Amino acid sequence: MSRLRNLLLAGLAASFAGACSDPAFDDSSQIGPDPVLPRPTQFLIPPINVAPGKGWPAGKTPTVASGLEIKALATGLTHPRFIYVLPNGDILAVQAKPPAEPVKRPKDLVFGYVIGKADSTGGPRPDNRISLIRDANGDGTPELQTVLLDNLNAPFGVAFVDGTLYVANTDGIVAFPYTPGQTKITAPPRVLAPLPAGAINHHWTKSLVASPDGSKLYATVGSNSNIVENGFDAERGRASVWEIDRRTGAGREFASGLRNPNSPAFYPGTNTFFVVVNERDELGAHLVPDYLTSVREGGFYGWPYSYYGQHLDPRVKPQNSLKVAAAIKPDYALGSHVAPLGLTFYSASLMPQFRGGAFIGEHGSWDRHNFYGYKVVYVPFAGGRPSGTALDVVTGFIDAEADRTFGRPVGVAVDRFGALLIADDFGNAIWRVTPAGWKPGPAPAPAAPVTAAR
Amino acid sequence: MVEYLPDDERVRVGRGGGALDALHALLGAFPAAYFLLAFLMDIAFARTAYWMWADFSIWLITAGLVAGALAVLVGIVDWLVRRNSTRGHGWNWHALITIVALLLGLLNAFIHSRDGWTAVVPEGIILSGVTALLLIVVAFLGAASSRRAAG
Repeated sequence: MSRLRNLLLAGLAASFAGACSDPAFDDSSQIGPDPVLPRPTQFLIPPINVAPGKGWPAGKTPTVASGLEIKALATGLTHPRFIYVLPNGDILAVQAKPPAEPVKRPKDLVFGYVIGKADSTGGPRPDNRISLIRDANGDGTPELQTVLLDNLNAPFGVAFVDGTLYVANTDGIVAFPYTPGQTKITAPPRVLAPLPAGAINHHWTKSLVASPDGSKLYATVGSNSNIVENGFDAERGRASVWEIDRRTGAGREFASGLRNPNSPAFYPGTNTFFVVVNERDELGAHLVPDYLTSVREGGFYGWPYSYYGQHLDPRVKPQNSLKVAAAIKPDYALGSHVAPLGLTFYSASLMPQFRGGAFIGEHGSWDRHNFYGYKVVYVPFAGGRPSGTALDVVTGFIDAEADRTFGRPVGVAVDRFGALLIADDFGNAIWRVTPAGWKPGPAPAPAAPVTAAR
Repeated sequence: MVEYLPDDERVRVGRGGGALDALHALLGAFPAAYFLLAFLMDIAFARTAYWMWADFSIWLITAGLVAGALAVLVGIVDWLVRRNSTRGHGWNWHALITIVALLLGLLNAFIHSRDGWTAVVPEGIILSGVTALLLIVVAFLGAASSRRAAG
């Protein structure tokens, strides 16, 4: 009984001590290939903190690193989450309404209420649509903003290959015949491949990328729970990246153990893709760091059994020692609970300081007291691997002092001119980052379209 | 223990207090049953690691807390109505154990709201067992005390 009493007292102490702040910890020690991992903590009341979303006041923008400039490219969208740039330079903003998740435990009611606070108060309700934004001269003022596709099913990822626009709805990939320049799609969707969804569908975002040769699509499927609290049966085909044959629609799990992977992106000039992954919650303010990793065929990255290799999660029963032994340590930690959702590599020449590295959109924390994330960071690469310290590129999405969120970054992309685009789902905007004082010259030649190897 | 009630008190107990007593006893039975069932669900979960049982358990604990809160409210009103009457020690123990049991139940609700195995094992299942036991004792003491008060 004394062990129980100690556990209870420790839990109580942790809960009350944690009621106002997180334990002292150097967050920078969790950025890079070898994050410091404190011991897991279990809580009576896990730390939760979100700031109410108020939208952007007129004239206010996020803050950019020195030498850069930021402007709203598009406003008045409804929860834009993902951005895709077509070969002709047209920009697609994917907007999605999250599917309703059933209440399974009393906790779900409390969490829904508390985390829902962060949503933009009085702003537009989400819609399931893709908007097309055309800024042909690159001056940052679009000539056209129109709805390309409507009535989708919680879409997230998009890929254009060989005259076909693929959209990853939450329940599968659909295909539409599409010619760049077209501003409205009315053709009915062709279902290419179903993806795991179902009644719970906890991590619902399915993102998409085409292989460099265009023959395959890679779709991410997040786990159906935080840490299998909906049972192992609910996790079939989840917490993984699926490979789908573009012509037949045949799919298979390409890699697994990735709790909530998003925004797969091929490193320029290679056949290796990376994803950003949201790791597990409720083990402490400083566990488990979210990460960026390359994805190996057949690779297993730990979830749910372990994290960062062989660090066991005490909440998983039954454990699986074979899986734990096989768990791959991810490449690069981004910090605990920063919630990375967007990833894009920079290979343009407009901002040469960023060439060869990655931009990552961090949606921001809820599972700790001190706000973390809520920014776009840049991770330098060397030899095709993340290398060096992550830099803050775009910040100012949250005012922690005033307990107020203006917006939250999600998807990131690079436009035809080399400017960085950021989808801001709670700010209902697309932001565009260029060098300070930059004026566009003549539009560069269209990017070479991805075509299938025949 | 000698129970002596002056005539005017007997009238009050017979009118308002009797109905309150009955309601209190009725509501008091629910938390004991809910927490006992929660304990059984926890045993099933600990034996199988099958998540359905843990979900059942947290709903039963929540229901037990709601029913327990209602029973406490009625109990307080009941006590206020006839606090001038002579009472046995049974009532004091009844109130004290009830409060301890419900506080443990609340603690248990938070533990059961964790994700994964440690939502139940080990703290959760032990608290479920202790809470169920305490509430059964409470129900017994309450019933015994009512009998004495009425007799």
